[in-house]
Amino acid sequence: MHDSTSIQVRVWRGDAAGGDFADYEVPQQPSQTVLDVVTWIQRHADATLSYRFACRVGMCGSCAMMVNGVPRWTCRTHVNKVAQDNRLTLEPLRNLPVIKDLACDMTVFFDKWKAAEGHFSGSLTRDRPVAAISPRDRLRRAANAAIECINCAICYAACDVVSWQADYLGPAALNRAWSLQNDIRDTNRAARLQAVSANGGCMHCHSQQGCASYCPNELNPTASIAGLKRQAAGSFLKKKYPEHYA
Amino acid sequence: MDYQALKTDVLILGSGGAGLFAALHAKKANPELDVTIAIKGLLGKCGCTRMVQGGYNVALSPGDSVERHFMDTIVGGKWLPQQAMAMRLCETAVIRVQELENELGCFFDRNEDGSLHHKAFAGQTFDRTVHKGDLTGIEIISRLMEQVRALPVQLMEEQRALALLPSRSGDCIAGVLMVDMRNGEFRLVRAKTVLMATGGGPTMYRYHTPSGDKSMDGLAMALDLGLSLRDMEMVQFHPTGLLAGRDTRMTGTVLEEGLRGAGGHLLDGAGKRFMLNYDAAGERATRDIVSRAIYAEMRAGRTTPNGGVFIAMSHLGADAVAQKFPGMVKRCADCGFDLAGGRVEVVPTAHYLMGGVVVEADTRSSLAGLYVAGEDAGGAHGANRLGGNGVANSTVFGGIAGDEMAAFAGKVETWADVDQERVDAAIDASLVPLRRDKADINSIRDRLLDVMWDGVGVLRDEAGMRRAQAQLAELKAELHDGGIGEHNRVFNLSWHDWLNLKSLLDVSEVIAAAGLSCENSRGAHYREDFPEVGSLEDSYFTVAGREGGSINVRRQAVDFSIVKPGESLIDD
Repeated sequence: MHDSTSIQVRVWRGDAAGGDFADYEVPQQPSQTVLDVVTWIQRHADATLSYRFACRVGMCGSCAMMVNGVPRWTCRTHVNKVAQDNRLTLEPLRNLPVIKDLACDMTVFFDKWKAAEGHFSGSLTRDRPVAAISPRDRLRRAANAAIECINCAICYAACDVVSWQADYLGPAALNRAWSLQNDIRDTNRAARLQAVSANGGCMHCHSQQGCASYCPNELNPTASIAGLKRQAAGSFLKKKYPEHYA
Repeated sequence: MDYQALKTDVLILGSGGAGLFAALHAKKANPELDVTIAIKGLLGKCGCTRMVQGGYNVALSPGDSVERHFMDTIVGGKWLPQQAMAMRLCETAVIRVQELENELGCFFDRNEDGSLHHKAFAGQTFDRTVHKGDLTGIEIISRLMEQVRALPVQLMEEQRALALLPSRSGDCIAGVLMVDMRNGEFRLVRAKTVLMATGGGPTMYRYHTPSGDKSMDGLAMALDLGLSLRDMEMVQFHPTGLLAGRDTRMTGTVLEEGLRGAGGHLLDGAGKRFMLNYDAAGERATRDIVSRAIYAEMRAGRTTPNGGVFIAMSHLGADAVAQKFPGMVKRCADCGFDLAGGRVEVVPTAHYLMGGVVVEADTRSSLAGLYVAGEDAGGAHGANRLGGNGVANSTVFGGIAGDEMAAFAGKVETWADVDQERVDAAIDASLVPLRRDKADINSIRDRLLDVMWDGVGVLRDEAGMRRAQAQLAELKAELHDGGIGEHNRVFNLSWHDWLNLKSLLDVSEVIAAAGLSCENSRGAHYREDFPEVGSLEDSYFTVAGREGGSINVRRQAVDFSIVKPGESLIDD
């Protein structure tokens, strides 16, 4: 029997070589996030527990981990909303190499962001006024709909295609590429489309919506990837049947 | 103890707005240079630029001017800012915002006609704050991070700087001693030039807003190096931090200014409004006035269950509040609070350190080759920072530092020799907590937070600050004698907790000493025993340094190099 005012927490402990679960009993508080639970363990039960966090308010995307099998940001996940029979199981994010305990190596995630040409290239310089763009412009709205990503890698952890296929760019990088494809200031759209439609690119998405289901900022990478697929198909048809598009 | 030795041309500490802009500018100014960016957390994820909600002050609107922005900064800073820095800030902000938009791809909110939207922000005579909704920082840092990652810049993530190392002769910077937090190994990074852009962040107060990685390491290293720090008593408090109990990291995080502006009420523990007892503007009074009023209510014991006050929005209509402040309402809901329909406990929360290393307007420190930018540098804000001048400060001076450092590194032929004794001493000092028996580090942290909150907080007097000094000395001794009960250095957060506390204690001593030296009340610094502003013409600021193990503070007259009290650069 356990005390009903405490939470039974199983935490994966280990490193790249392997690991196992350890059990902790953590006192329950009225205001308590999953990050607070992890912090309590490190401060009061086992000083060697490793995890990562920074901003505490859902802005930096550092603290994500698997909570009862689901990827979540832990700084804004209240224990009451996720504990099952006062039990929590915490593991490092899926689909990323673990460094130690609950902290993952995010290098591959950002390498794919880069491989998807996930950065802006413009033609104007800092000496020029900014471009006049209506907030109602259709393309601007499409770019904006995908932009508020905090690169927390929750979608990447939720994606089954990533787990099957190591070179798949994944939802976050492709979502960023889609935002840029709609940015009329950007000058690198042709190369980016090529990058995201090559092997490992958007065509591998199975539209299972794991990314959209778990994105804490309610973005929809599946829809963004569908947009890239349309652009890629359109580009292919234009090349194959130029007479139809003359 | 063994360490790995590395060399780079340009070494940057920190990856907020200052560090990332410096890396970008240095690499673009001279692509031949080897540029390395070392960060305590992950690139672009730690630090506070990312957490900017409000926006970026820039004189880009028709009718606005750099001179007007400058005057607002000087008046807001209660005539203490270093005027050359403030002018450089306001001038360069124009270029920097255009650079963010045109070259980095930031997209700031637009008016219907497609021009930049400028919003009103407290303490300014013109609407000049460009923004991306209420998540401006994420947009700026994400775009910067992408640009830096696209360049051949060396990344050293989760590497903590332990000491800034001067050359053997002492006439220039020679490098930085670091520890790789992931495997616990030490690294000596020799560099021709170093930027300190670790971000201040007053996290030594019971309630604070900055990210958890911030612990004043930069300023603590600057003290060790013998650099002077100015305006260190100037700690800005935001009036409405979330209060959810001592044991949650949610406590202290900001509930936005706009809630009060929109008509939100502050209520004491009994549910009574109190702000009108302090100021005719009520809840819409400025940050410093509201913070002092709440602090006074708390001291009088008229508090909520967790010891703060309530913010209530529901009289404005729960649906209307949810529509106007969706991000805040969602964040509160995630954490179990009903901001739109109920009451949420709030408390003033330490937000920003105006003080920092004494630098020139081009970011040079007093040691050749060492540059300082962002919250680590003092001077631009004086006694008070305007909302929207924080991200302007970090991005403007970060870029300037990158340009300056590229020019400097291009002229330096070779790397200076490091004083080996200092390297060994710094490694040895960092290992203290691994050698000592286990002590209650959590209790030391808890007491530090209370000492600073109670003694050197929103309202100060001599007796309280002297008491705090004595308590800080005890805590320092206790920390030095206490260990973490663990020898393994691999990704050991508890070891870093100890090192964080060491930095915080070192800098807390300076804040208390500077607070005692400054015998008037301006901006963020309020002395109950010296409540007057004092003569503006005779304005002075504090300059602190460590000499022979103790903190010395002197007063220095403000150099009104551009404008004097009573004058203005603008007509109205």
